[in-house]
Amino acid sequence: MPTPILQVRDLRTQFLTDGGTVTAVDGVSFDLFPGESLGIVGESGSGKSMTALSILRLVPDPGKIVNGQVLFHDQDLLQLTGEEIREIRGRDIAMIFQDPQSSLNPVLRTGFQVDEAMLAHGKSKGEARARTLELLKKVRIPAAESRYKDFPHQLSGGMRQRAMIAMGLSNAPAILIADEPTTALDVTVQAQILELLADLNRELGTAIVMITHNMGVVAGLCSRVLVMYAGEIVEQGPVEQIFENPQHPYTWSLLRSIPRVDALRHERLRSIEGIAPDLLHTPSGCRFHPRCPFRIDKCFTDEPRLEEVGPAQQAACWVTMERARKEMGADGLKDIRPGAASGVRPGELD
Amino acid sequence: MAVTAAAVVVRPITPVQASLWSDAWRRLRRNRLALAGAVFLVFLTGVALVAFVYTPYPMAAVAVAAPYSGPSAAHWFGADVIGRDVLSRVMVGAQISLTVGVGTQLVVLAIGVPVGLIAGYFGGWIDSIVSFAVNVFYGVPDLLVALLLVVLLGHPGLDKIIIAISVTRWMDMTRLVRGQTLALREREFVEAARASGARPIKILFGHILPNALGPVIVQATFGVPAAILFEAFLSFLGLGVPPPQPSWGSMAADGLSAIRIAPHMVIAPSIALSLTLMSFNFLGDGLRDALDPRSRR
Amino acid sequence: MAEAAVRGRPAPAPSGAKTLLRAENVVKYFPAGLGATVHAVDGVSFEIREGETLGLVGESGCGKSTLARLVTQLIPVTSGKIFFGDVELTKLRGEKLRQYRRQLQMIFQDPFASLDPRMTVGDIIAEPLDNFRVMRGRKRNERVQELLNTVGLNPNFNNRYPHEFSGGQRQRIGIARALALNPKLVVCDEAISALDVSIQAQVVNLLEDLQHEFKLTYLFIAHDLSVVRHISDRVMVMYLGKIVEIADSVETYSSPKHPYTKALLSAIPVPDPKIQRHRRLVELTGEIPSPIHPPSGCHFHTRCPIARLPAPCAEKEPPLEAKGRDHLAACFFSSDV
Repeated sequence: MPTPILQVRDLRTQFLTDGGTVTAVDGVSFDLFPGESLGIVGESGSGKSMTALSILRLVPDPGKIVNGQVLFHDQDLLQLTGEEIREIRGRDIAMIFQDPQSSLNPVLRTGFQVDEAMLAHGKSKGEARARTLELLKKVRIPAAESRYKDFPHQLSGGMRQRAMIAMGLSNAPAILIADEPTTALDVTVQAQILELLADLNRELGTAIVMITHNMGVVAGLCSRVLVMYAGEIVEQGPVEQIFENPQHPYTWSLLRSIPRVDALRHERLRSIEGIAPDLLHTPSGCRFHPRCPFRIDKCFTDEPRLEEVGPAQQAACWVTMERARKEMGADGLKDIRPGAASGVRPGELD
Repeated sequence: MAVTAAAVVVRPITPVQASLWSDAWRRLRRNRLALAGAVFLVFLTGVALVAFVYTPYPMAAVAVAAPYSGPSAAHWFGADVIGRDVLSRVMVGAQISLTVGVGTQLVVLAIGVPVGLIAGYFGGWIDSIVSFAVNVFYGVPDLLVALLLVVLLGHPGLDKIIIAISVTRWMDMTRLVRGQTLALREREFVEAARASGARPIKILFGHILPNALGPVIVQATFGVPAAILFEAFLSFLGLGVPPPQPSWGSMAADGLSAIRIAPHMVIAPSIALSLTLMSFNFLGDGLRDALDPRSRR
Repeated sequence: MAEAAVRGRPAPAPSGAKTLLRAENVVKYFPAGLGATVHAVDGVSFEIREGETLGLVGESGCGKSTLARLVTQLIPVTSGKIFFGDVELTKLRGEKLRQYRRQLQMIFQDPFASLDPRMTVGDIIAEPLDNFRVMRGRKRNERVQELLNTVGLNPNFNNRYPHEFSGGQRQRIGIARALALNPKLVVCDEAISALDVSIQAQVVNLLEDLQHEFKLTYLFIAHDLSVVRHISDRVMVMYLGKIVEIADSVETYSSPKHPYTKALLSAIPVPDPKIQRHRRLVELTGEIPSPIHPPSGCHFHTRCPIARLPAPCAEKEPPLEAKGRDHLAACFFSSDV
């Protein structure tokens, strides 16, 4: 069992708003192993982006990291000084974001901005430029020399994102965090970027943390996945297992509500009822219980913890799909309504 | 799931009905300076209204006190150069200032809002004409326009002054409303209104104007003290309300020559003017912060 | 109302089915400054059949959003005709056109921007009714509550404001508004793109149920091909202002007849690792050209893996013609796809 390069323990990030305290990341713990591609998947309010921002201490005001440890090579990133964490950012751990348009400075040439990432960490101008050109080629930007001189608005969305990836990789970081990097791009461009990331992961051994809401992206790129809901990890494990045999009702429901382009005939989508959880007033007990078809009485009062449900697979659920299949007829379930299968207060939202 | 089974998707995300106006009101209430300003203005309006039926002495009554006499029990603000009670005159002066201030803004709104809406929404040649007019008026110095108007409209009087000031101020409002309209016109809910068959009038007054009201109200609130000051200035120059009407500006002018021996003649109306201007400005600031949808504290 | 979780798609309507809307050579150019024009929609012809869901997919610059606005006549065409039933919509102006809005409604993409934040939900939904003075007073309120109920919202919410609702709920409000006048055709312009995945499924199901209950016809525009494939009877694929393929949705996905369609399909990630890891991406060379200078001949030739250059692909524009039963494609070499 290799040692993880990143260990997140009990991370908690909160926002103080007008209406109260919102705990965007609520006790998240996970490991990242060298060279692996880890997916963090979830919908709005799941806390996936905020987890990534917390790791690099980029949480925007009025948010604060109030608890936890982020161990990178035995250093707790949350305890470092401002100077020290700035050293780490961009050099050891890099991050790319969703919208390359706003991440790139429109009045500076693209090549220069990639150079900057290296200049900030000690390289000389000549070294930086040479490396930038090399990187631009590596991320498959054609005509790299002329693109180097272009301004961001002269590049297409896909190329801007490639430039961002080049910037991220410029100092050969151990970890690249990608926060929804392809969401704003066209499908064909998205596929190319994902292929690029997969190739880079294989060639360079850079670990990739891929944050996305798209299960298809996870299926193609990641070897392990964390499923987040309402600020917590509800399930984690190897991708094949999670897709084949999800144990948490949220994961299971989510997979069944996605239309498939390769579906052979029209089946009504099994949608999860209800709306995203209100982080100001999180439900008591299990946060998913207001929408869960398999809930039992315990789910209303006690919060489940992550437990082993398969080889290297963990889920936070009192029931789990295994039991739901055996005892509640989960496979035959037509609609994902709260309490529908378990019979516990069916139809009530809370 | 039957379409009509409403049982499941039920809750909105806030438990309390909250319009954007009540939210703004709540924010405004928290702003101490704005509240203080509002309180003073309410008081001032009260004084102005009271002055219609009662002032300690008639404002034109001459020699009710010794000329130049300072504040005393009988005359809280003293007397002016011909023995008129300054307090009474300041009270009536409040009427004048408020009438001019609010009056000009009403005229400015009446012109600026419809013109701005139409120019912004329809664009084209209408917009070109309006923009041209706006630029022309901006080109002429305020004072000159006001002077010309006052002279041309004959006998000076409150209404003439209101018109004169409005003519120099309508452009700001027009530009503001036009800009708001241009921005709002592209918003998706306006497109949706068109798609659902709304006529242009309905769109302008039912969708665009309500969403532009915030900045418009703030602008009008700031416009009041500007107009009051302008009037005070005109009166100071002798071009404002005719005597014996006591504009704060003319009172200050009258008292200027005697400022060494009877400073109260200048101080009283000046303080009244300053407090009034400050109050409107604080209120305007508060309104701007309260109505700004982005500052969600 | 069909409860079944499995519902077979009705057989594709034969070409003789009643046409609700027909577009003939519709063109829309926008000025782009300095004499340039954006060829947003570059000559498209198609029909929407009564009762069907016609999906429209394409990537940036393909013109699908512009086409949505042309179909609802929110913007005028540069040239070409659009017929609604027997009426030539593109000839109507002012009040006559406005009257047709009763039958042609639209649902917008952004649930946060498409509702006037200063109006109550009840007024928003009733606005179409008010615009045409259809109902007043008690009947109007009853209709609003009925509509709220129909889209799965509590009828007592008519006095609340949009910001009090979640994205999915606001989209439902938008749907209720679109249904207020019992339209015949509803254009869904990326109606679910801005919603969370699990909420998308709710709204898709709702749209399907409503279609069944109210006999609606949909033009469903989206960039997510998985959803389009799911909800549509037929699918139209657009590229750079032109339609490249129209076919039954199952057939489009199982046997595309245009190389762009095939490339697009290969790019959609499938949420199944065993399948996704082994799929081959059809690589397209280069980038999407600018709609200001679309390529000559077939617009796709600059990136096409099977293009024969220079003739005919760079010189002649392939016509959109039948390649199979009710299956149209614009390619000289459909058999190679």
